[in-house]
Amino acid sequence: MNIQGKGTKQNTYDAIVIGSGISGGWAAKELSEKGLKTLVLERGRDVKHGEYPTAHMEPWEFEGRNKISQGKLARQQKQNRTGYTTSPASAHWFVDDVDNPYSEDQPFDWMRGYHVGGRSLLWGRQSYRFSDLDFEANAKDGMSIDWPIRYKDIAPWYDYAEKFAGISGQNEGLPQLPDGSFLPPMAMNCVEEHVRKRITENFSDRIMTIGRAANLTQPHNGRGNCQYRNRCIRGCPYGAYFSSNAATLPAGYASGNLTLRPFSIVNQIIYDKNKDKAVGVRIIDAETNEVIEYYSKIIFSCASAIASTFILMNSKSDRFPNGFGNDSGELGHNLMDHHFKVGASGRIDGYDDKYYKGRRPNGIYVPRFRNIDKASAQKDYVRGFGYQGRASREEWSRGVAELARFGKDLKADLIEPGPWRFGIGSWGECLPYHDNKMYLDDKVRDKWGQPTVTFDCGWKENEYSMRKDMKQSAVDILEASGAKDITPFDTPEKSAPGNCIHEMGTARMGRDPKSSVLNKWNQVHSSPNVFVTDGACMTSAACVNPSLTYMALTARAANHAVEELKKGNLS
Amino acid sequence: MNTETKNSLGMNRRDAIKRAGFALGAAISASTLSGVAFAQSSRSGASWKPVNLKRRQVEVAGAIAERILPKTDTPGALDVGVPEFMDILYGSYMTKEERSIFAKGLNAMNQRARKAHKKHFAELNAAQQDDLLRDLAADSKNREFYEKVRELTLVGYFTSKEVGMHVLKYDPIPGMYKGCIPRSEVGDTAWSYS
Repeated sequence: MNIQGKGTKQNTYDAIVIGSGISGGWAAKELSEKGLKTLVLERGRDVKHGEYPTAHMEPWEFEGRNKISQGKLARQQKQNRTGYTTSPASAHWFVDDVDNPYSEDQPFDWMRGYHVGGRSLLWGRQSYRFSDLDFEANAKDGMSIDWPIRYKDIAPWYDYAEKFAGISGQNEGLPQLPDGSFLPPMAMNCVEEHVRKRITENFSDRIMTIGRAANLTQPHNGRGNCQYRNRCIRGCPYGAYFSSNAATLPAGYASGNLTLRPFSIVNQIIYDKNKDKAVGVRIIDAETNEVIEYYSKIIFSCASAIASTFILMNSKSDRFPNGFGNDSGELGHNLMDHHFKVGASGRIDGYDDKYYKGRRPNGIYVPRFRNIDKASAQKDYVRGFGYQGRASREEWSRGVAELARFGKDLKADLIEPGPWRFGIGSWGECLPYHDNKMYLDDKVRDKWGQPTVTFDCGWKENEYSMRKDMKQSAVDILEASGAKDITPFDTPEKSAPGNCIHEMGTARMGRDPKSSVLNKWNQVHSSPNVFVTDGACMTSAACVNPSLTYMALTARAANHAVEELKKGNLS
Repeated sequence: MNTETKNSLGMNRRDAIKRAGFALGAAISASTLSGVAFAQSSRSGASWKPVNLKRRQVEVAGAIAERILPKTDTPGALDVGVPEFMDILYGSYMTKEERSIFAKGLNAMNQRARKAHKKHFAELNAAQQDDLLRDLAADSKNREFYEKVRELTLVGYFTSKEVGMHVLKYDPIPGMYKGCIPRSEVGDTAWSYS
């Protein structure tokens, strides 16, 4: 192996950040703004803010309109499993499955975006805080190890992250869904207001609020406000939703301390046995296959849950024969995602003379109302779920299923707005099971000769019991709202782990190095100059979308890293 | 889009359609008719040739699409190039199985037409085509084909530029969200795509 850069000053930085997605972007911003010469290593191509090729394309400008061609599908069979990611408007943000294979002992849908910005360019933007209900859950119900932090430890960092990112939403004063520092909320439409009132009138235990979204309702930190096109997944030319490309990386560049190297696949963390710590990383140049080493005082692994754990597992030494930092044997275990695609929809009559203007890239939210206190305790399952949904008037696509109708009346009908429908789907917490795991496969190799990941992860009894309630409670809400033609749905076969794109766990935080990989500051217990601040660190999943928590944990860890460096504790 | 492109007979599209209606009642040769029917299946007249489907198949596809979404005071499926869209999808976007179902379904429609009227489907008058379409819709054996041809007709029509910009209410950059406005502020039609 011809290794470039060994010992050269040119390849030495204060900090290395692996990955440029939500977590990596935050690490890059915080570390570089605090004066550290920071190198961000991104395995995919560069994408500068504004380089979003489909952002202004109309449906008729795509050859197959909303369809993916068979030729492209052949290279994105797994990326296609969500049903929306590989549409021609967004397929270029998702990986080529042929070059980047993985294996499945049980189905696992691993959606990856290998480019600068990662999945921050195409995330769902729903932004909710974890509460102490979540941080205390493992300890209280005994299902797993305790989180090493509580809400008070992260609350100021939620404030900090929200203020920079720009989250629109409404404070509701709920203990299970803490308030935040929000931009003005987006509006509900007529039918959503109708349902919101009916929920308040009919239920004492639940409310409905507008979604808390990383979409700007007013100009913010030099970024433009939302234009209500609802084309976020293509990349926003206005910078109106939070992404690394539009927000954190430009801030990092402005510090003068940030260097970003695209096409840099981090293959392993370099452990120096004399110093008994990590001293840098070894990369493969994705274009030239050149192997290069980079050195730094601290390393932030922000490659996404699975990829960060891949790097740790692939970093073997005499000291760490089972993967870097894996003294506990927990590395790769306790893999989680949210389970979803269960809920109900129904028709709401009485608003035919009402409509809306604009395509709001956000919906409504019904915060968790189960297993919060004694009154809401469930006998069949622990933890809980929230609902996301929206009301809208049906579009022309409603005509496909009306098989008996064709002709001029059908056409005239479909040109008009259809009936109002309100639908909600639930996002449920999945427990951290030790035997839900990923491991490395040396036989199946990727395009660069690296081992690949195999998943062995599935939903269990608690999730399936919860799903029954997720469906029935959705029907209850629709009935209370006076909905007609109520259609419940529950499609676990379309919601394999990974499908929600909220992979969490595999290098969890904990107090005890015997049962966890990271400490309360996201440092690897046995090598504290290595931080893991992406989804891999999560000790439990809660039922809310996790990205805001990665932002807050990353900013908190970066602050701690710089303080420790100043004290001389990491050198 | 230029709907007035002349075809090889020197007729523009509108003339061709009128002529076809007239011709259907007259005793003229099948080969002439098929040329007229083909002109009907394309927004650009006879100058357009299917790349992937057979000419007979695209005639049937176009005729079915036009009966599902016929020309009225708004454009019909043929006006906005639905057959061209189906030809593209058949070529590169359908699975092998979908291609087989689609091609067989189109061929079978022609067979039904010949059995009932001794003519190709595209040569039948609207009432005859509608009768055969109703038979198709009621026949569970051909459900997959019928659903596919309906889906492609609606997608091809409503995501076309003509319909997206000029039939539905086009608002590419709304700039704001108002959740509850009188429908009359938008007009008689739905918003274009979402």
